[in-house]
Amino acid sequence: MSAILQISSPMRQCISSLEPSMSQAIRIGSHAKVLRSQLFPTTAPTTTTKINARHLSSIEHNPRWRASGVLDSYVAQPAHPISLRQLVFFGGRNLDEKKIINSANYVRTELPLRIAHRIRDMQKLPYVVVTNRHLSEVYELYYKAFESFRRIPEIKSLEDNEKFCEIVKTALQEHLTVIPSLAMGVLECNDLVPSHELDRFMNVILRSRISRRVIAEQHLALTDTFNSPFHFPDSVNHQPHDFVGEVFLRCNAREVVEQVGKHTLELAREANSSNSPIPEIQIEGHLDTTFPYIPSHLEYIIGELLRNSIQATIDHHTQLSTSTSSTTPIHLPPIKILICHTKEHIIFRVSDQGGGIPIAELPHLWSFAKGPRANNYLQNFSQVPKMAATLQELQKTAHTHSRRESMDTSLSRLTSRPPNLRLGMGLPMSRVYAEYWAGSLELHSLDGYGTDVFLQVSKLGNKCEQLNLDGV
Amino acid sequence: MYRAVAVARPLQRTLVRRVSTSFNSHGGGGSMLEGYTPPTTSPANDMIAQLAAKHLDRLSLKDLIRFGRPPLTAQSLLTSARITREYLPVRLSRRIRALRNLPYIIVSNPNISKIYNNYIESLTAILAFPANSLTNLTEESKFTELLTEIVKTHSNTIPVLAKGFLECRGYTTPEEATKFLDHHLRARIGTRLMAEQHIGLHLASVPQPPTIDVPGESYIGTVDTELRPAEIIDSCASFVGDICELRYGARPKLTIDGNPDIMFPYIPVHLEYIITELLKNAFRATIEANTPVPITVTIAAAPGPPDAGGITIRIRDQGGGIAPEDFCHIWSYSFSTFNGSRSSIGSGNSGHLDDLCDVGTDGGDDVMSRFTESAGALETSSIAGLGYGLPMSRAYAEYFGGSLKVQSAYGWGTDVYLRLKGVGLDGL
Repeated sequence: MSAILQISSPMRQCISSLEPSMSQAIRIGSHAKVLRSQLFPTTAPTTTTKINARHLSSIEHNPRWRASGVLDSYVAQPAHPISLRQLVFFGGRNLDEKKIINSANYVRTELPLRIAHRIRDMQKLPYVVVTNRHLSEVYELYYKAFESFRRIPEIKSLEDNEKFCEIVKTALQEHLTVIPSLAMGVLECNDLVPSHELDRFMNVILRSRISRRVIAEQHLALTDTFNSPFHFPDSVNHQPHDFVGEVFLRCNAREVVEQVGKHTLELAREANSSNSPIPEIQIEGHLDTTFPYIPSHLEYIIGELLRNSIQATIDHHTQLSTSTSSTTPIHLPPIKILICHTKEHIIFRVSDQGGGIPIAELPHLWSFAKGPRANNYLQNFSQVPKMAATLQELQKTAHTHSRRESMDTSLSRLTSRPPNLRLGMGLPMSRVYAEYWAGSLELHSLDGYGTDVFLQVSKLGNKCEQLNLDGV
Repeated sequence: MYRAVAVARPLQRTLVRRVSTSFNSHGGGGSMLEGYTPPTTSPANDMIAQLAAKHLDRLSLKDLIRFGRPPLTAQSLLTSARITREYLPVRLSRRIRALRNLPYIIVSNPNISKIYNNYIESLTAILAFPANSLTNLTEESKFTELLTEIVKTHSNTIPVLAKGFLECRGYTTPEEATKFLDHHLRARIGTRLMAEQHIGLHLASVPQPPTIDVPGESYIGTVDTELRPAEIIDSCASFVGDICELRYGARPKLTIDGNPDIMFPYIPVHLEYIITELLKNAFRATIEANTPVPITVTIAAAPGPPDAGGITIRIRDQGGGIAPEDFCHIWSYSFSTFNGSRSSIGSGNSGHLDDLCDVGTDGGDDVMSRFTESAGALETSSIAGLGYGLPMSRAYAEYFGGSLKVQSAYGWGTDVYLRLKGVGLDGL
């Protein structure tokens, strides 16, 4: 309860102004309508918002017919993947006008191409899925982005680039709703299509989304760097050259864990009653490990894992002490994080004693379209208007002093999500992020005791250029 | 020469006839190589095919305890005997069928052909025991004696088969060999268990002379309904610690946490086998990494009734982990990655995988044979350094719906997760 009161003011407005289910339906309905009228002013909207909200979930949104010739020509071309190393070196040192313009044109041509492939993926889904209100919203959003990006003429000057960056920023912002929409759509389609198919679709579309955001944000960051090469307001501990655009050359494993740990513990304090104990986070292993990575990705994964571990530890031990009706204060076992540095990988092992995960839940753990608890998650989703899937959204927007925010990427301007809101997508999303850069995420449950999660990330700086890790 | 031919000849006349006992004296496989004629197709093919095609349910812990706690009534014991008499031939026939479908050049190998003949012999023997005679306890006792004989004959199957496949590695791919062995040893677990279960029930139900070891009161045949994982871990740790002290002059520490008091129903010999294998790896890694950090074994019991929820055991060492290039091989029988140089097995930086197997071979001392005794009817994993401890352990863990997973943090240590399902004891 207290958590609801403590969430940030934009969230509160959103929740208090409307009933949750209504708010989502109306917001999306009107949003879609605006989109369409912008793009196709002569056509009447194909959906109506006058229908009783309680029945909205079963409403089909009839898809607009479009000539597929243009899309076909884009789908016929393969995407041009990029490696993290390319991101570092092509954008890196000696940034000049030519490099910025080249980068802009790469993004300009690559984005519509990659989006086209995802639109085609969606078109191949069963009709009943694409006409789901959430998924049809995503479909329209993608089509709009495709149409707008493919029409942008070649970028020839820095001025062109400034305009282009504005378009990119707007698109990134607009597409923040994609993840909750996809997730809700997939949950709602749970009964209509085998969940493994929905999960495969989710994996592809999310990977692709990461890839587009990485190249788009990398370009925005490069442009920023170019405009003010030594201006890093919050980089007390890091020299400016630690950043190359969006890529953080020297990611310090311990610092990331400590920083994320601090934030997640704060969130836990706010989400749980004030006298409830909070577990300690202990870090062991190779503590001076540094490696190149995109910190927002790492922070997101570690954040989700810690969030799970902290809440599980609190819940499990509170329950234990209630059931034994012991009067002694609850002692919470610490969450132990191991950092292990190998030749090619960094391994993070998060071990908690939060009671583990019942065997029956394990098969659904990595699924976006989870069966039995789909409805709980759906309800919770209606409280999340936007979600970019980064750690920052777990934080109260009021007092984030994240280094990332100072970089002013769209990833840092995020809407927040109440920390105790369970969406059931932290693990599958984290796995998509981990696998994106050739890593892995594995979980071992000791049912009745605790959970160990192993996150393995590749040391990308050591990978050769030919490696196309980028899942376009 | 003569003996070998004699194997096939009686079979050609009729399968339902006790094969000459000279069979048991085959012994040292290699000497049979010269002029050896592999068994030829016998007229009993049809019968084996028919038996092998019969429906077979997967053996479950629930099946094993269906007659309740011993002593069993004469009626129950006879039912158990009859079921065993009916289904053991089906299981044996399936093994024979699988062996027969291997390439000729592989079955011709003396080691593999020895195992093949063992199966033929056992099938012949059990079929010779008239099914309808199992109506009184005298016949049941004779039948149990026969089962005991069969179990003994097959106790060394896996090492011999593995040795055979090692010798045949030019004629088959590692994948094929691994697939066959994997399937074989899994199927074999059920076959042995079926026989051993009846033997166990018999011993606990029919008065035995004091010289015979009778299962404890908490046992139903091979199943201990009050198994304490912590006790097994302790005894395996002390055994593996002894080996380490002999070989390395060091004995790593081990601590048990989580829920060490938990009891649950399981087959102790299976758990002993798995834990011994896992501890051998952990101990050796700990010694080689020269770390004072103890091995931590965490026992977790699922909420709910302890008998049905199952347990998870995590063995965590800080012995440096498994190199990524070795990790992909941990579930193969080491001969499948065998590249000719003997020294590459059981030494080098992949030491984790081949654990302490050298003790039994180049060490030449008696430690491994002690292990054989302690693990009862289960074979040692390590004879001739064939290193199939991990795949074998996983086969045991998975047999009753459990799992075995290994997670390495190279440069730090290894975590192994063993999950075992229990069985509900309601109504016993």
